[in-house]
Amino acid sequence: MAAGNLGIEPEVLKAIYGQMARIRAVDKAIQAGLSAGKFMFTYWPMTGQECIPATISQLITARDYMVTTYRGIHDQVAKGVDLYGMFAEALGREGGLNKGKGGSPHISDPSSGSMVTTAIVGAGAPIANGFAISAKERGEDRVTIVNFGDGATSIGAVHEAMNLAGAWKLPVIFMCQNNQWGEYTPIPDYTASPNFYGRAEALGFRGVQLDGNDPAAFHTGMKDVIDYVRAGKGPVFVEALTYRMGPHAGVGDNYNAAKDVLAAAKERAPLEKTRALLIDAGICSEDELSALEAAAKAEVDDAITRALESPVTPPSETVTDVFADVDCVPQRGHHPVREAEAASTGETKTMSMVEAICDAQRVAMTNNKEVFILGEDVGDPQGGVFGTNKGLQTEFGKNRVRPTPIAEQAIIGAALGSSIAGMSPIAEIMFTDFFGVCMDQIFNHAAKQRYMSGAATHAPMTIRVQAGGGMGGFGAQHSQSLEAWLLHSPGIKVVYPSNALDAKGLLASCIADPDPCVMIESMMLLFTQKGEVPLGDYRVPLGVAKVVREGTDITLISYGWMLHQALAAADELAKEGISAEVIDLRSLMPIDYHRVLASVRKTGRALVVHAAVEFCGYGAEICSTINSELWGQLKAPADRLGAAYAPIAYSQAIEFSQVPMNPAIVARARAAVKS
Amino acid sequence: MSTTLTIPKLEMSMSEGTLAEWMVESGTVVKEGEVIYTLETDKTAREIEAPVSGTLIQKVADGETYPVGTEIGEIV
Repeated sequence: MAAGNLGIEPEVLKAIYGQMARIRAVDKAIQAGLSAGKFMFTYWPMTGQECIPATISQLITARDYMVTTYRGIHDQVAKGVDLYGMFAEALGREGGLNKGKGGSPHISDPSSGSMVTTAIVGAGAPIANGFAISAKERGEDRVTIVNFGDGATSIGAVHEAMNLAGAWKLPVIFMCQNNQWGEYTPIPDYTASPNFYGRAEALGFRGVQLDGNDPAAFHTGMKDVIDYVRAGKGPVFVEALTYRMGPHAGVGDNYNAAKDVLAAAKERAPLEKTRALLIDAGICSEDELSALEAAAKAEVDDAITRALESPVTPPSETVTDVFADVDCVPQRGHHPVREAEAASTGETKTMSMVEAICDAQRVAMTNNKEVFILGEDVGDPQGGVFGTNKGLQTEFGKNRVRPTPIAEQAIIGAALGSSIAGMSPIAEIMFTDFFGVCMDQIFNHAAKQRYMSGAATHAPMTIRVQAGGGMGGFGAQHSQSLEAWLLHSPGIKVVYPSNALDAKGLLASCIADPDPCVMIESMMLLFTQKGEVPLGDYRVPLGVAKVVREGTDITLISYGWMLHQALAAADELAKEGISAEVIDLRSLMPIDYHRVLASVRKTGRALVVHAAVEFCGYGAEICSTINSELWGQLKAPADRLGAAYAPIAYSQAIEFSQVPMNPAIVARARAAVKS
Repeated sequence: MSTTLTIPKLEMSMSEGTLAEWMVESGTVVKEGEVIYTLETDKTAREIEAPVSGTLIQKVADGETYPVGTEIGEIV
């Protein structure tokens, strides 16, 4: 065959084969190491899919972003990830790209553009949108390619992400490597769809189906797709047809596949076919290809030898990289002292909590053009369901205040990806109850990105969320207090202001913070809390509690709307001659144990009050710490008071009795003092 | 330097494997990539290749089931 009839430049074809050979050398080395018992890690082989990333590698640079999955070693190799760092990571070594904390399913290597690797099927798609937003807003010509398998097309996150990318014309490529298998289940057992690219067309953007095993055809097709996306014409969904020769996990052949099907697939396998083509077309000699393959093997052998020499990442690294500052990690007996905010001397204005939140965002957006807001209905004229963004879209434009589809995974993922790229997004989730539909993005991805990447990347994003409760009539799905979910997910900071001043100051600190932060805004307080709030960039440091009422007999510890019930209870107690000190935690993570313990040391009694369910709640955690730290100094054991173990009822009579209102707090505090 | 051969963990769920048959005699010189034994798990049978070239020393009998990680031989 003459080179001119190949449909691809011979040098490009040779380069593609060079990448395939590197991928194969890595694949073989891993399978051999696992088979010999030399390696002990889980491997998700991609044998047979080499052509896809090998070809793409000739059309992109390290500046282009990639998000991929646990079955993505081929993607990593072709993207240019350092093989030593990759193997050391897979082996859990200090020299790993991510300090051995993420492992091969969580590679994050900004130097090569391999930004995020997820082990949650389909979860990369919403995050990829965030990278695409950053490129678009910064006027960069980067494209973002998110790889996933055909199995991932079944999960909601991919649909949400595709819909958002279409609506916002994002420069992102949804690269569906259709290997015919969703883990152990083949098409058509898990879908009746005739194809996958048609789903993009249904959402109003371009979808194409390409032969992912034919380097020439795939190169031509992908060049067109990448040029299109780079030119800003919007996203493209690529269905790249291939076949997974291996099992879902492990080594060897895909034992779930019928023997004749597997044999036919082997005939079409890209590496062997491309190798034969290079020789048949007279582009390379056998000797040349053997040398190229030997060089790939030598590169891999060297990487593995050095990786095995790297020390196993030690337990001393356990709590580093959870947050930027290790002092934010709660650790027994370690209660750092953080300086409180200085009293503001500048000009103030009377603001409701709604206005204070809006003002904090306005100041942050004015001072930093990389701060932007996204969420349902956040645009003008309504400016969010409670108007916390009112006027901001008018002032800053549609790109910086982005109303989204009703798709919380897409919202959080977009915020997360853009934050990893260095932006400072503020994602608004209407109600904490809706965390149920986006917790994967929050606790599996945002919370863990710094840790899983060994701090190679991090997610400086803010989530603002409204919380119902205590108002009656909203029912079980709009009234919950779910802060314990967040607090039990290492890597997320949580603040819960009780007044307008703190709402502004805490939000400003969250936006500037290097870690993902959630601010919970009580519906009950948004309009009822009014106070003097400083103009300009006013901040309240995270992790600093505040004594809001001094007392000597018992410390009431609370936050958010429940703080006001605690204050009312303190008034009642005073009439009985009981002097209650009241602490507003303000930040739930990091927690200010220093000020909490100082107060309880003085009063000798503590009652933690929250609207969340008492069982397994935050109060139990705080009480346990107080009891163990101050054992022998207490006049009564620290106690907690939370909601009854039940969903929040629609009946006001039930709701007002199931959460701890003022009389219940008084009764419990009185009992502690009189015990 | 010798290379230890152990019963590999080929699947997340795998805890033991059956060394069905040694394909080469103990003391034989093998080449990297040459099949040295067959391993059976509850899912599949797989031919295991020599990870390096050298002389194979068998340390356990075939036809038996061993836990993952059991040393079964070495290549010296």
